[in-house]
This record gives sequence, structure tokens and C-alpha cells, in this order.
Amino acid sequence: MAGLAAAFGSGAMTNSIEELAGADTIFVIGSNTTAAHPLVADRLYRAKKNGATIIVADPRKIQLALTADLYVSQALGSDAALINGIAHIIIKEGWQNQQFIDDNTEGYEEFKAMVQGYTPERTTELTGVSAEDLYFIAEKYAKAPAGSIVYCMGITQHTSGVDNVKSLANLAMLTGQIGRESTGVNPLRGQNNVQGACDMGGLPDVYPGYQKVDVPEIQAKFAKAWGAELSPKAGLKIPDMLSGLNDGSVKALIVVGENPMMSDPDQHHVEQALKKTELLVVQDIFDHQTAQLAHVVLPGASYAEKDGTFSNTERRIQRLHKAVEPVGDSKADWEITQEISNRFGYPMNYASPSEIMDEIATVTPQYAGISFERLEGEGLLWPCPTQDHPGTKFLHAGGKFARGKGLFHAIEWRAPAEVVDEEYPLWLTTGRAHVHYHTGTMTRNSPSLHALMPEGFAEINPVEAERLGVSEGEMLQLTTRRGTIQAKAMITDRVRPGMVFVPFHFMEACANVLTNPALDPVCKIPEFKVCAVKLDKAA
Amino acid sequence: MKQKIIDRAKELLTSGEIGGFLALKQEGVHIAPHLFTDPAELDMLSLGDGQGLGDARYPLVKLLYNLAERFPQEKFGIMVRGCDERALNQLLNEDRSCPLRAGRVVPVGFSCPEELAQACECAKPWPDALVAGEKTEGFPPPEADTSDLMLELQQWFGEADRCLKCLGCKNSCPVCVCHECTLEEEAMLPQRQLPPTPNFLFTRAVHMVDRCVYCGLCEAACPAGIPLKKLYRLVAQLVGQGIPLVGAAPRPQPQPPAQL
Repeated sequence: MAGLAAAFGSGAMTNSIEELAGADTIFVIGSNTTAAHPLVADRLYRAKKNGATIIVADPRKIQLALTADLYVSQALGSDAALINGIAHIIIKEGWQNQQFIDDNTEGYEEFKAMVQGYTPERTTELTGVSAEDLYFIAEKYAKAPAGSIVYCMGITQHTSGVDNVKSLANLAMLTGQIGRESTGVNPLRGQNNVQGACDMGGLPDVYPGYQKVDVPEIQAKFAKAWGAELSPKAGLKIPDMLSGLNDGSVKALIVVGENPMMSDPDQHHVEQALKKTELLVVQDIFDHQTAQLAHVVLPGASYAEKDGTFSNTERRIQRLHKAVEPVGDSKADWEITQEISNRFGYPMNYASPSEIMDEIATVTPQYAGISFERLEGEGLLWPCPTQDHPGTKFLHAGGKFARGKGLFHAIEWRAPAEVVDEEYPLWLTTGRAHVHYHTGTMTRNSPSLHALMPEGFAEINPVEAERLGVSEGEMLQLTTRRGTIQAKAMITDRVRPGMVFVPFHFMEACANVLTNPALDPVCKIPEFKVCAVKLDKAA
Repeated sequence: MKQKIIDRAKELLTSGEIGGFLALKQEGVHIAPHLFTDPAELDMLSLGDGQGLGDARYPLVKLLYNLAERFPQEKFGIMVRGCDERALNQLLNEDRSCPLRAGRVVPVGFSCPEELAQACECAKPWPDALVAGEKTEGFPPPEADTSDLMLELQQWFGEADRCLKCLGCKNSCPVCVCHECTLEEEAMLPQRQLPPTPNFLFTRAVHMVDRCVYCGLCEAACPAGIPLKKLYRLVAQLVGQGIPLVGAAPRPQPQPPAQL
């Protein structure tokens, strides 16, 4: 999100989901769309039916690769090299949109000079993608009347995550593939309301609407609105909170709707940190591994038990209606927050989520025209600045970027923080399976989903299986510098020789015991997607 | 049209002939199945036309099946289109421990407009229990050309590649009521695999032979856009069951077998 915001001025999907069905070329990179975003996959399938060219770049041969016009398997952690290599060909062949670049962007010359180094020969060497395939991608994307990029965690969960995103933004600006119907750069967000949480300032350095905490005028505006003195300093990111717990500078932690014991990298380190809290409060709808460590557990209400809104990946704010009363002592999250605040001595007395939305509209420019009344039905896509504004389907219309001019970043490819060596000779990557969601807190409680996939597994190539003398379903032992897990072998050519894939939904075969907590220097996202691993047949 | 359904449902409820009337209810823009027990509520009844004709249909018959199981003493009314009635008759006719018995269900039917019938390729877009609307023209689909069977089937393997195994086809199917489902058998179909083997689509297609009522709810539910109705027709045609041009009528209830 930080990468896209730096290039365009806004970090959200530039287009609505439905528009993808109308694109002519769609470049899908680092997104297992069918498993993680099936309703977006639906639009990709429809685009394909309408004659679109679908290009999939993913180290793993994901399901979408089977329907794609071209599938390439880039080496793990080589995304920026791949994207720069494509840009190199576009410029060399004169397929760039010079008019768009001249009118709407800055920083192009530095970028152009940088990609000179990514000749097809060198790009093939770094990524394993053939020159022929690079040309195909470059031409199909650059020349499409409407070209769109779709990406997800395969791009962002790297130490170079922000750089990877900036590289994709470069590609879109280079070809002018942005700011029109079905044309743009689209990061898919997972949780139903993760976009909404960010919109509302659920990030350490911004108030609602991505307004920076360290800008004095903004700080003054919120101090006035809330009748309180506010800190001008950015807060802590999750990895900083954990290291703060470890060194004693953070004493207490409130965890709302999250299970960091399983979702954060290097589980042993996380557990150590959480056990040092003087007060750990967990607010959730189900018990989970983090709640097990908590001093206090507050029962939250599920989606069916509360009123409110969810803002989804396409910036659509949708109304949520209560269907049943909360079970037992559980309460809607806003009620819990309000009661805690009242006991801390900052009085809040909102009567309903609708009242809260009215306040959001007064302080958040993108939401200024939003009220519960207007959200009935299909909801509205922000920005929606006034009460008669119909909402915004695609951003940066006509190349008028939210930040003014679009900014090229000259980004060199950087290797992952941990690479294979003699001791840990295989590449490990993690991800999702179609059946389960995240740490399984919800989906592993569902008997029908559990039946589909009752336990964890590790995907290995038949070559690796033969080398180890392992057959389907036998136990493997996986070891990295962080720890060891055991998981059943799934033998498949979805992964290449030399590569292992482990889904992170399963506590008993917990992928995040293995993953590397090395962080992107800007947004502090951990490198979940690549590290070095050693593979043995379990004793 | 809607008023006639409401009037009939009101009559059935107030006379005490039925305990509940299963239909669709509209709240705001949301249309969802609802068991009406209070006649005053019936003003919120919806035929299932949301943004477009028939775009808010649900497998009401399957819901009725579950309700009938839960409330074995009750008698129910149900709002039906032509396809719903075919599904109802299908379940009534099956020789199984079906909780639905002809005497326990009062169908209240309405016909679909020609435009919808055409879009659905529906051979009989009206129920026999017609309370509202006229008998409209049917649009039976053409038989599939099976002269090059291998070519035809190969295309279906490509379709199977897109399957996300969400089980929407099964869940939305009004006649899919088996207590144990072959699609969930690990031995038959490896459960964790995506895409599933083409077996997954074809197994279901074979199970739909002589049962599918061609309502198209599976196709509407499928996020991969697989033309399932077409597949079920093709497979039915291949095993010689052809395409039912009119819905099955209820057969007389079978007598329990004589004790030997």
C-alpha cells in the first residue's frame, strides 16, 4: 500500500472488481486468485471468455495458470527483475505511451536509465523466464486498449515488497495503463474489511483518510474534532510492538480480531514476546492460540450479530445488518471500545454505528458524502466527497493522479534476505489453500470445511520426493534457521524442483515457525514468501 | 401477479390449512427466503425479481425439505415457479425417506415471463399449480450435437480446470438432498486438490441424470462460470434419458413393501 501511495497518491485498488471483466490484457502476478479471491477470479474468467489475454506470473503453477494464455514461473523473490525486464523491452521497442509519460508523470528519465540494465539476457538469468515470454508479456500489456495488473501478497510479502509495488506502478505509468475504465493497478485485499480498517486510520502513522499524524494542521483538526490532545508521533508497527515487548518498552497489548501467534513470522519469537506482556487483552469471536496467552479475553460479536459497514478491496463501503442478537456476553467491537474508553476517562456515547459514520464523514474527505441512508443496496465506492456524489469506480481518471503527477521510482532488484545455501538448500514459500482462511480461527471451526482439508501439508516436486524416498502422504520434516515442523507430503508439479510450499492455516504444521521475520525497510511487512529450508523424511 | 400469490397465501394461513408459507421476502433491496407465519407480513413477499427478472431465486424446495424434516407435524405452503414445482415433484416421487409427502405441501404457483423462459431455455415456464399469470410459451433447448463425442468431452475437461470446488452447484441445487454426498468422499475424489479432477464435475453430472429440473440455480451460483446446465443435459442425453420437456408429475405414493 505504501508503494502505490508513493507512486500514485493512493494505495487502494484503482478499479472496481467488475471492471476487470472488461479488460483486454490482465497481468496477474503474486496472486493465487482462485484460491484467495474467487469472486475476482470470476471476473478474470469472464474477461477471458470475452477474449482477453490472461498472463499469470507466479513461482507456483496455481490454478489460474491452467486457463492463462501465458504462464511464467519466475524465481522466488525475482519480481522486481521481471518487471524491470518487461519495462526494458517496452522502451526498447518504443511501445511506451510517451504522451502519457510527458503529461502526467515525473522521474521517467532516471527510471529509463535504470531499466537499461535489465536486458532480456540478464532478466532471464535472474528470473528464469525466457526472452520470448518476456516479449509476449511486454507487447500484450503495452498494446492492450485496456491493460490491468492484479497483484497480491506474492508481491508484497517480501523485504522488497514496497519496491515490487513501485515497479508495477512504473509499468502502468510507462504504458499509460491507468486512469481509465478496466485499466489500472489492483492490489487485492484479503479480509472483508482490511481496506476499511486502513481507511479508518488503522495504521500507525495516519488518522482516518490517510491524513498524516505529523502534519500540524491535520493534528489540530483532529484535536479539535475529538476534544483531546494528540501525539504528533507515528505509533508502532506490529514488529516494533513485538520487539518493544521483548525489551520492556511496551507493557500491554490489545489484540482485536487477530491471531499473531500464527499470522506473524517466526512463531517462537512471537510467543516469547507475548509472554512478556504485563497485560494482554484479546478481543475475538473464537478462542485461538493468542487468546490462550491472554490475561483478559473480551468476546466480540460476529458479522451476523452487529450493525455497521465493511469496506472491501474495491473501496466499496457496504452496509452490514444485524441478523441475530449477540450470543452470550459478546458485544459489537465498537461497544467494547466505547466502554474501555469511558473507563479510561475519555467519554464516548455513540448510540449506534450510524452516528459513528456521521462523525467519520466530518473528518474523512474520502467518506464525506457517506451516511448509512446512502449505503442501502450495493453501497458506495470511495472517494465520495459530497452527499450527492455517486462514488468513484476508478481512480486517477485521465491520468490526474491523487498526488498530482505520477512518480516513477528507479528501483533495482534486490535479492531476498535469506537465500539457499549448502545447509538449507531449498526455497520455501508460504500461502493459502482454497478451503481455509488465514490462521483457521474461523474456517477450522467449520465441520464441512474441516472435512475438505483436515490437516496441513507441504507441496514438493516429484523430483524431490524421489530424492528423499518419500511417497504421497508420508511425513516430511522441514527445518529453517527459526525452527522445525512436520507435515504430510503432497507430491505435485505445481512446485518446481528445489521449492517447497506450505500453507499457513495449520497450527500443528505451522508455516510461521519457519518463516523469516526480516522486514521491508519502509512498511515493515515480513518476508513470508521466501526463505531457505532443509527437507528430510521424518523419522 | 404478486397480489394473487399473497391473497392465496393469506387464505391458506388464516384458514389454518398450513402452518407456514415458504416464499421470498424483500427488505430494502435484499431478497431472501422466508417462512411467513403471520399473514400481516405477506406484504413484504417478493417473487424474486431484484435488479433483473428472476435474479433473486433460491432453492426453496430444498429449504422446504429441511423444514419438513424439522417440523414433522406441520403442513406448509410454498411459492413455486415451473422449475420449483418440478423439483418438488422430483423429491415427492423419489422412493426414499423423504419428509415431504404430497399431502403436506400446498404449492402456490406463478408463471415466468417469456423473456426469462427464453434466457433459461425453459421448456415449461409455468407450474401446474398455477395461481397467478398465464401459461407462457416454453423454449426447449436444442439437443447437443454428439457426433464427435471426444471433441465435445475434451472441451469439458477444460471447463473443469476452472472449478473452484466451492460446492455452490450442490448447495444451490433444489434436488440435492442426499445425506451422504459422493462429492465429499476422499476415496472417490481427493478433497484437498484444486482444481478437482474432472471426475468432480462428471460425477455430479451423472447423479443429475433423470433428476435435474434445469432451473439453472447451479449455473447462477458458479463463480467459475461453468455452464453446468448444459453439461447435465449432455450427460443425460448420452445415457439415453433425453431432456424432459415437461416436468415430472407426482406419482402416487408407493405402498410400503409387503413383509416377507
